[in-house]
Amino acid sequence: MLNKLALSGIRHRMRDYTVLFSGLMIASAIFYMFLSLATNKTFLSSNSPAAATAFIFGFGIILLSIITIVYINYANTFLLSMRQKEYGMFMMLGAKSSKISKMIFVETFAIGAISTLIGSAIGIVATKYVSQWMINALDMQIKHFNSFYLPALMWTFIFFIVLFIFSAIRNSISLRRTKVLTLLHKDSQPSKIKRNGAVKFIQAIIGLIFLAIGYYSMFYMGKNAMFIYLGVPIALVTIVIGTYFTINAAITAVISMLKRNTKFSQKGLNNFTLSQLSFRIADYTKILSMVSIMFALALGAITVGLGFQKQISTVVNGQNYYDVAVHNADTAQKNRINHLSGDDQYNYSYKVDDKSKTVYYRASEFKKQPFYYESFNMKSMLATTKKSTNINNPDVSYSMQQNMLPKYRMNQLKAVSDAEYNKIQANSDTLTLVKTTSFKNNLSKIKTISKEEAKRYPDLKQAGGDKYSAYVMINGFFSGLEFMGFFLGIAFLAMLASCLMFKILSGASGDVKRYNMLHKIGTRQRTLRSTINKEIAVLFAVPAGLGIIHVLVGLQMFKGILFQPYSHIEVPFGIFIILYLGYYLLTRYLYKKIVLK
Amino acid sequence: MQKIVEVKNVEKIYGKADEKQYKALSDVNFEVQPGEFVGIMGASGSGKTTLLNILSTLDTATSGSVKIAGQDITKLNTNEMADFRANQIGFIFQDFNLLENLTAYENVALPLALQNVSPKKIKPAVTAITEKLGLTDILNHYPTELSGGQKQRVAAARALVHEPKIVFGDEPTGALDSKSARALMDTMTKINHEDNVSILLVTHDPFSASYCDRILFIKDGEIGQELRKDDNTRGEFYQEILDSLGTFAE
Ligand SMILES: Nc1ncnc2c1ncn2[C@@H]1O[C@H](COP(=O)(O)OP(=O)(O)O)[C@@H](O)[C@H]1O
Ligand SMILES: [Mg+2]
Repeated sequence: MLNKLALSGIRHRMRDYTVLFSGLMIASAIFYMFLSLATNKTFLSSNSPAAATAFIFGFGIILLSIITIVYINYANTFLLSMRQKEYGMFMMLGAKSSKISKMIFVETFAIGAISTLIGSAIGIVATKYVSQWMINALDMQIKHFNSFYLPALMWTFIFFIVLFIFSAIRNSISLRRTKVLTLLHKDSQPSKIKRNGAVKFIQAIIGLIFLAIGYYSMFYMGKNAMFIYLGVPIALVTIVIGTYFTINAAITAVISMLKRNTKFSQKGLNNFTLSQLSFRIADYTKILSMVSIMFALALGAITVGLGFQKQISTVVNGQNYYDVAVHNADTAQKNRINHLSGDDQYNYSYKVDDKSKTVYYRASEFKKQPFYYESFNMKSMLATTKKSTNINNPDVSYSMQQNMLPKYRMNQLKAVSDAEYNKIQANSDTLTLVKTTSFKNNLSKIKTISKEEAKRYPDLKQAGGDKYSAYVMINGFFSGLEFMGFFLGIAFLAMLASCLMFKILSGASGDVKRYNMLHKIGTRQRTLRSTINKEIAVLFAVPAGLGIIHVLVGLQMFKGILFQPYSHIEVPFGIFIILYLGYYLLTRYLYKKIVLK
Repeated sequence: MQKIVEVKNVEKIYGKADEKQYKALSDVNFEVQPGEFVGIMGASGSGKTTLLNILSTLDTATSGSVKIAGQDITKLNTNEMADFRANQIGFIFQDFNLLENLTAYENVALPLALQNVSPKKIKPAVTAITEKLGLTDILNHYPTELSGGQKQRVAAARALVHEPKIVFGDEPTGALDSKSARALMDTMTKINHEDNVSILLVTHDPFSASYCDRILFIKDGEIGQELRKDDNTRGEFYQEILDSLGTFAE
């Protein structure tokens, strides 16, 4: 009988359960995805040239586990908030508390187990598409990738099952411990706000000081890379503490300031909204600080990840001015070259004298077609394009050697007059160099040319030197980092935004009465809705705002590694804000569904 | 003189046409004059709350007409209904319905803020009504720090602060001990006499009802007998109510 009642309770709140279910499913899907990508040996070994990547992925798993634990915690609180009134009622009617705690245990565990099963299945399918998409979009060098990876699946199960067993135990204990009356009237018990101005003021000051220390250490790290081992922990600790105090004290201060400003507060429902917020902030400080830190980490991960992506073309372009280098082009290669966009084509004849280990060029050809090369400035980390007609300049001959066949790269280069050139007893070969309008846009054609060239001159395969080979190496390295940043960033955002969502929705049932009362004394529906929108907007905006500031300052850390860490940050910020906005809209929609009739 | 409340042939049927239907009110007719203190008495389930919800635009009648201060409220749209509640009527509920995250002062000020009364005018209005109700000392307290009687007086102040045409009370003494109930009813009577505020109270409690000038008895959704206090003392009227409850219940 009781079971039947409990089930009908679930049916009445189908929408909320759907949200809970999908949230949990997404969590386990993300966990599986990351695990299957990060622990998959074939993925790792064929993808990343750097052994460091394994470490980075390991670090990612730890971060993901932490946020998942936090996330499950909030989802669980939401579940309990939906159920405690009903279970309190059963207990008041005489149901044994042991029976009730068993029921909530089974319910929590069942919800967890089912969502993990479905979530992992979704994870397997999603991994297939996401990896495919990633591989294509990032032009990654991944061969054989199987989205079903048993160890990852096992670990996902174990991790989530353990988490849900703990949650279930916690729920049943918490139901058993609380008094029936508390359960029944849980919603109408507001948390008392402590009004202590002096303490709040000191907290605000401490918060700002800690933030300043954290920010300064990030600035400092950008200048002194060696400081990183000390700087990262310092920044983490100070910024976490600073954020907590700032939110706790500074926000409260702003709210009471607004409340005191009667022109503002005595208008419509402003005072009500402010009071809702000031009651909430005390209760929300922890989650808001966490969300703001996570937000910063996630946004930072994406920004830096994409920063590396931008780095790819910069670094690749700095490797070699010319997009294609072909020796003694046959008709097939000539055809392919002609299909490239842009017709900056340069042909240089050369003769090799094996005895003196010298490669001769015609000086006249360099007069007509100056040679372009990238000169790298170690200080600014920038490569600038220069041109020269003098092949004997060491910078020029170094760049030229990259374009030559590997076996001649150790030879000396010499530009001679046409008369001298003609006298040399050797075959005359041609080197064709092409500069297209865009390396990226011609990538697939350039790839073919490079591959064909390697077939014709097999030792090119190992030695590389042309732009495409440089691209493959650099792209392989950065893609791992970028993938990490992107995946973790999105996963973090999804989870932290829904943590906030669950936290807010957990409080919704307590607001039903308040909004109903406002409705009764004559508040228009539109006013009620806009009040809710405002309130939830502030709860979402506070951590996002602080998080964005954290990231903007935090990017200073990467000044040494990343070339222009701030350029194009609107892309990751845009992606992020749109996703976050989506969660905000979903939250306020669900909240209104619960609170308003 | 214009009547404050004019109810004609009001009927309320719960449940849609294809569902199980229940007639909560049938052919209800009555009027309230300005400055009158009217009680509607009936047992639990007799339709009191249903009637009050219709009068206060929280619910709509299935048929019939309701005029409050000359305005036909059955023809209002949702926004007009909200504005009507905000401007024309005051509410006192059994369970106080105060916002626990606002202080007593802020709770009382809320209806004025909702009407966008200028902050300068809010303060004197709130001060005046709370003085009258003896709330001056507790204005900065939150509802959880107040007794039931104090809470209900705060609710009464909130119902009166915007000088509504009529105050509706749904069993306002229902959650109070007898001493607080008496104090509240004394205050309501005082306000009714001194400020000429019309009050319509629904209750199942004869004691509270004995404060009214006139009592309508409702049973199974129908208004039956009517009782007037006239020149009786409150004690005599109370006895009269008890007597008619006996006969009315048969
Ligand atoms: N929303 C509703 N749907 C169906 N029936 C209702 C609804 N509200 C009240 N009723 C029924 O109408 C009758 C009158 O209810 P109500 O006006 O609340 O009585 P009172 O306030 O006098 O105790 C009751 O029998 C009740 O069950
Ligand atoms: Mg009732």
